[in-house]
Amino acid sequence: MKFIYQVIITAAIAFVLQSFLPWWAMAIGAAGVAYYFGNKGLISFFGGFIAIGLLWLATAMFIDVTTHSILTEKINRILPLNSFVLTTLIGGLVGGFAALTGALIKSKA
Amino acid sequence: MKIIKVGISAFVTIGLIYFLNNSWNFGSPIPPLGKFLDPFHGFWKNAEKANQNDESLAIPGLKEEVAIVYDSVLIPHVYANNDDDLYLAQGYITAKNRLWQMEFQTHAGAGRVSEIVGEAALDFDRGQRRLGMVYAAENSLKSMEADPVAKSMVDSYTKGINAYIQSIDYEDFPIEYKLLGYKPELWTNLKCGLLLKSMAKTLNLGEKDLEMTNALQLFGKETLDLLYPDHEGASDPIVDNTGNWKFKPITLDSVPLALPDELVSLHPREKSSPDIGSNNWAVSGRKTKTGSPILCNDPHLELNLPSIWYVVHLHSPTVNVMGASLPGAPAVISGFNDSIAWGVTNAQRDLVDWYKIKFKDNKKNEYLSDGVWKPTRKVVEKFLFKNGKSFYDTVIYTHHGPVPYDERYHGDDEKNHYAFRWIAHDPSEEILTFYKLNRGKNHDDYQKALDHYASPAQNFVFASVSGDIAMRIQGKYPVRRKEEGKFILDGTKTSTEWKAFIPNDQNVMHKNPGREFVSSANQYPVDVTYPYYVTGTSFEDYRNRRINQRLTEMNNIAPQDLMDLQLDNFNLKAAESLPLFLSYLDTTQLQGSEALAYQKLKSWDYFNGIESEGASYYEAWLRALLPMIWDEMAKEKPALEWPTTYMTFRFIRERPDFIFFDIQGTPEKETAREVIRKSFGEGVAAIEKWKEEKKKEPTWADYKDGYVQHLLRQEAFSYHIQHGGNGSIVNAHSRRNGPSWRMVVSLEKPGIRAWGVYPGGQSGNPGSPYYNNLLPLWAEGKYYSFHFTSTPESMQGSKMATITLTPKK
Repeated sequence: MKFIYQVIITAAIAFVLQSFLPWWAMAIGAAGVAYYFGNKGLISFFGGFIAIGLLWLATAMFIDVTTHSILTEKINRILPLNSFVLTTLIGGLVGGFAALTGALIKSKA
Repeated sequence: MKIIKVGISAFVTIGLIYFLNNSWNFGSPIPPLGKFLDPFHGFWKNAEKANQNDESLAIPGLKEEVAIVYDSVLIPHVYANNDDDLYLAQGYITAKNRLWQMEFQTHAGAGRVSEIVGEAALDFDRGQRRLGMVYAAENSLKSMEADPVAKSMVDSYTKGINAYIQSIDYEDFPIEYKLLGYKPELWTNLKCGLLLKSMAKTLNLGEKDLEMTNALQLFGKETLDLLYPDHEGASDPIVDNTGNWKFKPITLDSVPLALPDELVSLHPREKSSPDIGSNNWAVSGRKTKTGSPILCNDPHLELNLPSIWYVVHLHSPTVNVMGASLPGAPAVISGFNDSIAWGVTNAQRDLVDWYKIKFKDNKKNEYLSDGVWKPTRKVVEKFLFKNGKSFYDTVIYTHHGPVPYDERYHGDDEKNHYAFRWIAHDPSEEILTFYKLNRGKNHDDYQKALDHYASPAQNFVFASVSGDIAMRIQGKYPVRRKEEGKFILDGTKTSTEWKAFIPNDQNVMHKNPGREFVSSANQYPVDVTYPYYVTGTSFEDYRNRRINQRLTEMNNIAPQDLMDLQLDNFNLKAAESLPLFLSYLDTTQLQGSEALAYQKLKSWDYFNGIESEGASYYEAWLRALLPMIWDEMAKEKPALEWPTTYMTFRFIRERPDFIFFDIQGTPEKETAREVIRKSFGEGVAAIEKWKEEKKKEPTWADYKDGYVQHLLRQEAFSYHIQHGGNGSIVNAHSRRNGPSWRMVVSLEKPGIRAWGVYPGGQSGNPGSPYYNNLLPLWAEGKYYSFHFTSTPESMQGSKMATITLTPKK
């Protein structure tokens, strides 16, 4: 249950932070939330990964749908990987490692 | 233990963020991926919906409220209460739609592309600085700022651009900034000058002084005159005023110039494409259905995205004007107002000279001029690379101008140096021409406006609601002695220098000629009784004849008829040459693909339509024929320029055993007939190879493969298009060049009606539906009908959104 909360709250806080601050602000959010919940390292990592990855993916998909993929198709020809996959992966990795760091700070050992 | 784990994890996180927040280059450039992919600020934010929202923005320096109404294709209709606000708003709205392009083009003008893309652009950048592009822009800025009207116009425009730049953050940056990982800098008045000088460079660097010097040395004067006559006599001149040039011309002493006697080993780095040119014409009310004049213009330039043109409608108490503007310069360049319309084509005149410089020694501190050693001026140019490194270059200036090529740049000789004299280096105030044209009421106003115009020389077509039509070939032209300017000149004597300029009122012009139309298509400008020596880069031989022939035949003309003429695909070059070429073939020997090609060519109607296969076969044949004939002038040899296709065809007809028809490297002695046969075989083979590769039939549009390219050569932002025409055809669309703007204006008394289109769109953003929405319209030969109104309220019905600019207290 704590895992689900971590995911939901990380995504919500990152959403707010990212609306005002540069992209990496979400890492601070993910780390803070993971610290608060104090899940185990690996679980925290996945919590952060899924929260930010899904947040980025959902936001990107929303833009894509409302703009009829006008830019997505072009950028897909420039990037080596599909832009949705890459967006999820990059957001997820940073979110995951930030959450791991937050959780490790709290851990006892 | 914990501290180590935390340390590693934090290190990885921060390292990852650092890596993803910066751009890298591992063989190919990688944008700052975190920033770029972030859907809250990155590239996703550049994706736009078709619908635009009303906006309101407070701008410092604005005097009163300005309404900018977007119509359905995103053309801004700007309504301001004074001229300062008007140009501020033009700057603002242009930047809002075209910021990256404006900055990129002026960075290119200033030789600063390496700052954006890295060292790969250094050679280009050095070339720009060495041609004195910044020097030219600075001179032009000085004269712009010396005139109060021009100064406030440019100041306001710059203010508007900067108001936009200061209102945006990373998430609003055009996508190119995000891809390349840099950000916009503030605009300056100098950038307006740089943009205009880049245009001048595009239009003036077709000159061939070095090549002609080499041709003189290699072939002798007699052959040279045969290959490159001053006047090919192909066309009607733009202005025929035979025997009526009633002014006293300026004359120079008649000492004939010594012709140079040398071979120039350097290859000029860059030349204007021969497919750059333009058409314009105006027909008088006597030839039109409505009884009012109609004016047309289509400038032929390289077709890029974002487009070189941006359509605007500017309204203030002193002006109501609409047409094509250049992003980066205030006012309308080719357009119309309530009373008049005008358009431009390039005048092709030779406005570049090269002076051979004698330096005292290798230090190049002094050079000889009339027996005196004069000091040079050395300008150290700094080039910054994207990676922070820098490079320094020294450019040497003489009183003629800079010395672009030397042993450190594209010259392979320490002794031969040539200074570059270019009219665009001189102070000038073109911006006032457009300020006044935009407000012109009649022919007198047009004349006064053009008096400010110096370079690049243009054929200005004119028509007015009051019924006048006119043409004036305006520019600042040096008075030249016969042959002067064709070859390299002796820089040690001041007697070879430009002594005087043709007075404005003695320039080539006419008004309401008896034939009831005026037209220009880069052909030879004037009849032989004009008292000044005229020399040019190269004059066009085909388009202009087709235009004049059609305009002569046409009567009771409707605007649609002239749109059809702008789109005319008749290949006069082919009509004049193909029957002879085909007669040289031995049809009894033709088999297979060659027999098929013969049939396609024989039945071709000489129109380069999209579906035409004859057009492709003819083009392939020419691509084989011309290099075979002019193999004496191959690229790796001293720089030479091929004679025009018109002259080449004349030699085929009139001198079939001309020495140049002999193919170098074969023991036989070929004549025109053998070369034509041989090149036919090669041309057909090229088509067969193409068919094999593409797996389709060689229809003209497929074979030509028209390509409108993004300025960064980014394929994902570029388009292949299907369109007819070719260079030398009225619809002058070749693979990369063509009509960059088509405009038709009917100057009717109850109200001007106007149409226009260009291959692109009003937005420079590849993520906007308005990035390329005009491109299919253009390719299909259709036009957009302009809304030309005098109040924002009258835009109802065609209005999409309003941007309100208010003064910031």
